[in-house]
Amino acid sequence: MTGGEDFRRHCVAAVLLAAALMGLALLGYSGRDRLAEIAILVIFAMSLDLLVGFTGLVSLGHALFFGLGAYALAGLTTMAKIPPSLAMPLAILAAAIAAFLVGILAIRVRGVFFIMITLAFGQMGWAYFQRSRTFGGIGGISGVGQPDLGAIGLSLANPADMALIAIIAAALVYLGMARVTASPFGRMLVAVHQNESRARALGLPVQRYKLAAFTLAGAIAGLAGVLAAERTNFVSPDLLVWTVSGEVLIMVIVGGLGTLVGPALGAAVWVLLRDYLSAVTPYWMLAMGLFFVAVVLFADEGLYGLAARISRRSTRDA
Amino acid sequence: MLEARGLRKSFGALEVTRGVSLALPEGARHAVVGPNGSGKTTLFNLLTGELRPDEGRVLLDGRDVTALPPDARARAGLTRSFQKNNLFMGLTVRENLALALAIGERAGTVFWRRFERMPGLLARAEALGERVRLHEVLDFPVRSLPYGTQRQLEVGLALAIEPKVLLLDEPTAGMSAEETQAMTALIAGLPREIAVLVIEHDMEVVFEIAERVTVLDYGSILAEGTPQEVRATDAVRRRYLGERAG
Repeated sequence: MTGGEDFRRHCVAAVLLAAALMGLALLGYSGRDRLAEIAILVIFAMSLDLLVGFTGLVSLGHALFFGLGAYALAGLTTMAKIPPSLAMPLAILAAAIAAFLVGILAIRVRGVFFIMITLAFGQMGWAYFQRSRTFGGIGGISGVGQPDLGAIGLSLANPADMALIAIIAAALVYLGMARVTASPFGRMLVAVHQNESRARALGLPVQRYKLAAFTLAGAIAGLAGVLAAERTNFVSPDLLVWTVSGEVLIMVIVGGLGTLVGPALGAAVWVLLRDYLSAVTPYWMLAMGLFFVAVVLFADEGLYGLAARISRRSTRDA
Repeated sequence: MLEARGLRKSFGALEVTRGVSLALPEGARHAVVGPNGSGKTTLFNLLTGELRPDEGRVLLDGRDVTALPPDARARAGLTRSFQKNNLFMGLTVRENLALALAIGERAGTVFWRRFERMPGLLARAEALGERVRLHEVLDFPVRSLPYGTQRQLEVGLALAIEPKVLLLDEPTAGMSAEETQAMTALIAGLPREIAVLVIEHDMEVVFEIAERVTVLDYGSILAEGTPQEVRATDAVRRRYLGERAG
């Protein structure tokens, strides 16, 4: 990707970050909680973009790793009594290992079969946690342990602090992923997406790169799950149900595939539309559906592409 | 350099490759000709590993690579161009060449440096672009290029990984007369260290670049020899050259 395109993406990301920080300063209790939710979904959506947008692997089971991160943190802190500051990286590691194992099987197939196999694994995870007595069944687990951030004057029980941490995490994940996707490793993923058979004919071990992308995406989704569990203090099978995977896929597509900042935008728009439309009309999903169709039909590269076009036009006019 | 021994391949009841053996020494200039459906592309797919033979072996540099997938064979020095353009369509010519170079150099393990800042990568992409006469369209998206120009990139990508053995599947297919001439010159000018096996329909091109010719017919070898010998073979005149001449 060209430097100019990168610059434009960073600009949109900076605007999003500024808006988030402004919201943090101005909003009340529930607004800040919503900000935290958005920041967590931003991380989740960007992790899926690595798979769908960059590598061309459309997963419909990404919520599995989001949920596993959350459940691992809940289990480790409430049952194993492991200190939260240690349990958080362990939970991310657990999500990464699960993604590695699922990935080994899933990347053997392509296209619609890949979609179906990821969906199947996602539903298996959901079915397990729904029935598991150890993990509280449908009721889930509450009282997830929170790390003691008193030393830096923060507490995750406070939505403002939770939102701040989540926003910082989202910004760091964005910077890290922007860096990795612009690296030779990231370009190999794009090569796989653009033309798998040619990449293979040139000597690229395609399967290894797919597995690396799947594992990395799973780990980052696990981080999002860990933060989600910290935000609500509670985990339940609802985190893993397949509609969660579907919603995050919509955020990525509506936002703009393979742009990182697009899916971030998509996540923010999703939460805001959901909350404001549902207050206005019980048919809010219908409106959301129409919005989705319009974006897919008319906005090349999704909301990000739309924003980029508008900014190009306004800079030209100025 | 590359050797095939007794390759057989069937698709259902149809035997497409019937005991084909082939030897390409270092620096070979070898052409495979034959009518449509004679099994030329299947032979290529067996050699590159896209297909597994039912019988027979493929040796690269004396090493048995029959069980290796295409990417492993490419890392061992064998690559191909495709009959239908098989490029990174959404990217520019420069990006295509740089990607192929990076794959050849196994640069994908680098996570933390920008792709464009890999030392010398873009300069080498440019040099390669010049070599395959694409220097004027380096920053054009591949999708926007005419077919013949895309064919040049098809060969350029294969050259990027500095293969020991290069298989070219109908490199001049669909090209104009001038484009064909330029492509023939490009192939004729390839370094002698590379062994080249080319599938080609245009007999003029074959006689210009090939030092040995294998004629395939219904999946088996009808004749093999120098272009002159093959041209003189009765069976070939009847089956293949004859069809064209009259």
